[in-house]
Amino acid sequence: MVDGKKSHRTQLFTIHDPRSTISTMSSPVTHLTDFSDRISPMLVKELRQGLRAKTFIAVFLALQVFLAVMLFSAGAASTSDHVGAVVSGIIFTFFAIAVLIVQPLRGTAALSSEVKGNTIDMMALTRLSAWRIVFGKWVAIVSQSALMLSTIIPYLILRYFFGGMNLLAEMVFLALLFLTSMALTAVTVGLSGCSSVVVRSLIPILGLPIMLWSLLVMSLSSGFRGSSGFLEICALDNTESRLAVALYVAAIAYIGGSMLSLGASLIAPAAENHSLLRRLAALALLLALFAATLLGETNTGAMVALVSVIAIPAIILALTESAPLVQTVCKPFAKLGAVGKLLGWLLYPCWSSGILFAIVIGLISLAGVFAHSAIASSFDAEEWVVIAALFGGLYFPAVWQVFLFRGDGQRIAHYLLLLVGSFILLGVLAALSNSMNNADFLWFFAWNPLAFIAMLDDSSASDSVLLAGAVVVDALLLLILFYGAIMDIRKSEPVVREAEASIQHAA
Amino acid sequence: MSALKVNNLYRYFGDLQAVNGVTFEIPHGSVCGFVGANGAGKTTTMRILATLDYPTLGTAEVCGINVVHQPAEVRRLIGWMPDHFGNYEHMTVLEYLDFYARALGYKGQERRQRIQEVMDFTDLVPLADRFSNKLSKGMTQRLGLGRALLHDPQVLVMDEPAAGLDPKARVELKHLIRVLAEEGKTIFISSHILSELGEMCDSLLFINNGRIVHHGDAESLKQGSDSVGGVLYDVQIDDDPQAISDWCVLQPNVEFLEARKHGGRIRIDTQDPAKAADILARMVKDGLRVTEFHREQRNLEDAFIDILGRLDAGKEAVTPPPLPQQKLMAES
Repeated sequence: MVDGKKSHRTQLFTIHDPRSTISTMSSPVTHLTDFSDRISPMLVKELRQGLRAKTFIAVFLALQVFLAVMLFSAGAASTSDHVGAVVSGIIFTFFAIAVLIVQPLRGTAALSSEVKGNTIDMMALTRLSAWRIVFGKWVAIVSQSALMLSTIIPYLILRYFFGGMNLLAEMVFLALLFLTSMALTAVTVGLSGCSSVVVRSLIPILGLPIMLWSLLVMSLSSGFRGSSGFLEICALDNTESRLAVALYVAAIAYIGGSMLSLGASLIAPAAENHSLLRRLAALALLLALFAATLLGETNTGAMVALVSVIAIPAIILALTESAPLVQTVCKPFAKLGAVGKLLGWLLYPCWSSGILFAIVIGLISLAGVFAHSAIASSFDAEEWVVIAALFGGLYFPAVWQVFLFRGDGQRIAHYLLLLVGSFILLGVLAALSNSMNNADFLWFFAWNPLAFIAMLDDSSASDSVLLAGAVVVDALLLLILFYGAIMDIRKSEPVVREAEASIQHAA
Repeated sequence: MSALKVNNLYRYFGDLQAVNGVTFEIPHGSVCGFVGANGAGKTTTMRILATLDYPTLGTAEVCGINVVHQPAEVRRLIGWMPDHFGNYEHMTVLEYLDFYARALGYKGQERRQRIQEVMDFTDLVPLADRFSNKLSKGMTQRLGLGRALLHDPQVLVMDEPAAGLDPKARVELKHLIRVLAEEGKTIFISSHILSELGEMCDSLLFINNGRIVHHGDAESLKQGSDSVGGVLYDVQIDDDPQAISDWCVLQPNVEFLEARKHGGRIRIDTQDPAKAADILARMVKDGLRVTEFHREQRNLEDAFIDILGRLDAGKEAVTPPPLPQQKLMAES
C-alpha cells in the first residue's frame, strides 16, 4: 500500500504551477471560498472559531430573546409616559453587559491559548507579524460585538415609536458603549499575552465588579430615571460636551492601542521592537498636550487627568519590558552614530532602556504639570502630596522587581500584582489610621510612597513635611531604578558593540 | 554550501547552559538524526535554527543565511515541526491548513493547490472536515507535517515527530520522511528511537550536555564503537542469572551490561575470538552452567551508551569550546 502511493504522492508534491487547476471536482479544497483573500488570515481564523464558540452563540441568542420579550412587555404597558426611556435603559443595559463584560472577557485567553498550545511559534514562522496576530484577534472579537450591535438596531427603531427619544444622544451613547467595548477588548487581548494565570484571572475578578458598578450607575443615571447627566453629554449640544466626548474617545483609543502593542511585545520575537512606536507616541502626545494647554485655558485638574491617561500606561509598559537586547534591534540606532546610541538606550525594547524611558517620561509629565500649576496657581501642598505619592507608587513595584524578580520573563504580570498589592496596603493603612485617629505610625511604611496619601488626614506632620518626605522617597526609588538600569546597560554593551561592528563590516 | 551550518553556538537561560559551543554542518539533501537525552540541548538548537530562539553567542545558518540577521529569509526556506502542538477548537483540518496557507501569503487558486498537494501527500483528504482538535496523535502529526510543508521548504526541522505514535503511525511517518528525502529535501530530525533514526538517516549527531559528542553515519558509529568498545555477547545459563553478574565482577576485561531472562549481556574487551573462547571456558570451569554463548550485533543504543560512558570516564575528550566570557573579552 505504501509503495503504491509513493509515486502518486511524489507526483502531486512536485506540482508547483499555480495556474494548474485541481482536477478532482469533489476535492474538499473546492469548499474554501467562504472568506476573501483580502481579509487578514488571522481574522479569517478567529471568525471561523469565534462564530462557532458557545459563548458567542449563547450571548447572541440570549440578547435577542430578552430584547424581543422586553419589547412585547413594553408594548403592552405603552400607556405609561416613561415607557420609552425605560425601554432604552433596558436595551442599553443588556447590550452593555454583552459588549462591556462578556465580549472583552473572551479576549482574556486570546494570546495565552496560542502560547500554551505551542501554536504561536508556528504562526511566527509565517508572514504574520506579532502585531497582525494581536490585531486580528482583537478585530475578530470586535466584529462579533459589531454583529450584536447591528442586531439591536431594529429594537431601537421599534423603541422610537414609544416616544421620548433623543435620537442623537442615544446613538452617541450607543457608539460610546461600542468604543468602550473595543478598548476593553484591547485591554484583555493585550494582557492575555501574560503567561501568569493570576494576572489573567485578576481581569475578570477585579474588572467584573468595576464594570457592573459602572453599569449600575449608568443605568440609574440614564434610562430608568427618564433623563440624565450622561445622556445630556451625549447630546453634544455644547462645546464642553463635544470636547469631553472627543477626549474620551481619544483616551480610550490611546489606551486600547497601547494594550494591543503590549500584546504584540509579549509574543514578538526578540528581533522586533514594538516599544519604539509606543514610546514615541506617548512622548509626542504629551508634548502636544503641553503645547495645547499653554495656548488655551485649561483647568489643572483636567490637565493632570489627561497627562495621567497618556503617561501612566507608557510608564507601566516601559517599566515592565522583558525582551532581551539583540543585535537586530540595535542596528537601526547604531547607524545614527552617537546620537543613535543615546536614543537607543531610551527606545530599545529591553528592561534597562524601559526604565530610563519611564524615568524620563515621568519627570517630563511632572515638570509639565508643575509648570501649569505654577502659572495657574492652582495646586496646594496637599494636592502635590497626592501627585507625588501616586507618581512614586508607579515606580515602587518596579523597584521590588529589581530585587525580587531579576531576569523575569513576565515582568508585566508581577508588576501588576505588586501594584495591586501596594494599593491594597494603602487601603489597609488608611483604614487603620482612620480608626486610630493618628497616622504618625505610617512613617514606618514610608518606603511605599502611597503611605503618604493615608497620612494626609490624621498625621501630626504638616503637608509640606509630607510633601518633602514623598519627594525624597520618590527620588530614592528613581535612583535605585536608574542604578539598576545602568548596571544592565553595562552588561548589554557587547550586543550594541557587535551591532556597530557588523555595520562597519558591511560598510 | 551546507543546508545547515552551526558554528560555536551557545544558548544560556540565566545560569543554565542549554547549548554549549555546538558546531556542525549538514549537506543539502541529506537526512540527519539528532540524538541526545532529555535536556541535552536538542530542542534549543533546533529552535534557534527555526528562528524561534536566538543564540547567546555563535552563528547558525540555513542555506548560507544567518538565522539572527535574516530571519524572514530563513523562514521561507525552513519547515518546522515541533514535538507537540495544540490544535484549534472549532476548526476543521481543511480550515487549519487554509489558515496557514493564507498566513504564508498564498492566495486563490495557488492556495487551494498547495493545500490539495499537502493533503494528498499526508493522506489528510478523508479527514478534511474533521475538527482538528479531535484527531488522534498520528493524524495530528500528519497534519503538523502538512502544515510544515505548505510553503515547500528546502529544509525540514522535526523535533521528536515520532514521540507518542503507535507503530502503524510511526511506519507511515517514516515513509513520508523517506519520500521527502527522495525529493531532495534536507531533513534534520530528533528522536529517542535510535534504531529508527539509523534506518532513515544519512548521518547522526549525538549531543550531550549541550555539546556535540559524535557526528557520523550509523554504520561507522557501530564499527567505531566495536573497535574501541569491545564485543558484546549474550550469555544464557541454567542457573540464577545473578551468578553471571557476580562472576563478571571478578573478571578483568569482562563487563556485565544488562540482565536478561536466563542470563545477561556482557562486553568482552577484545576482538579476538580465541580470547572469547577462553572466557567461555573459564565460565564453565567456575561452575556456570552455560546453555548459550553468542556474539551480538552492536546497535546504535549501545554505541550511544558507549560514547556517553567514555565521556563520563574521561576516556574521550570533547574539545572544549572557548567560553563566552573569554570571547566577549577578546572582542572588547
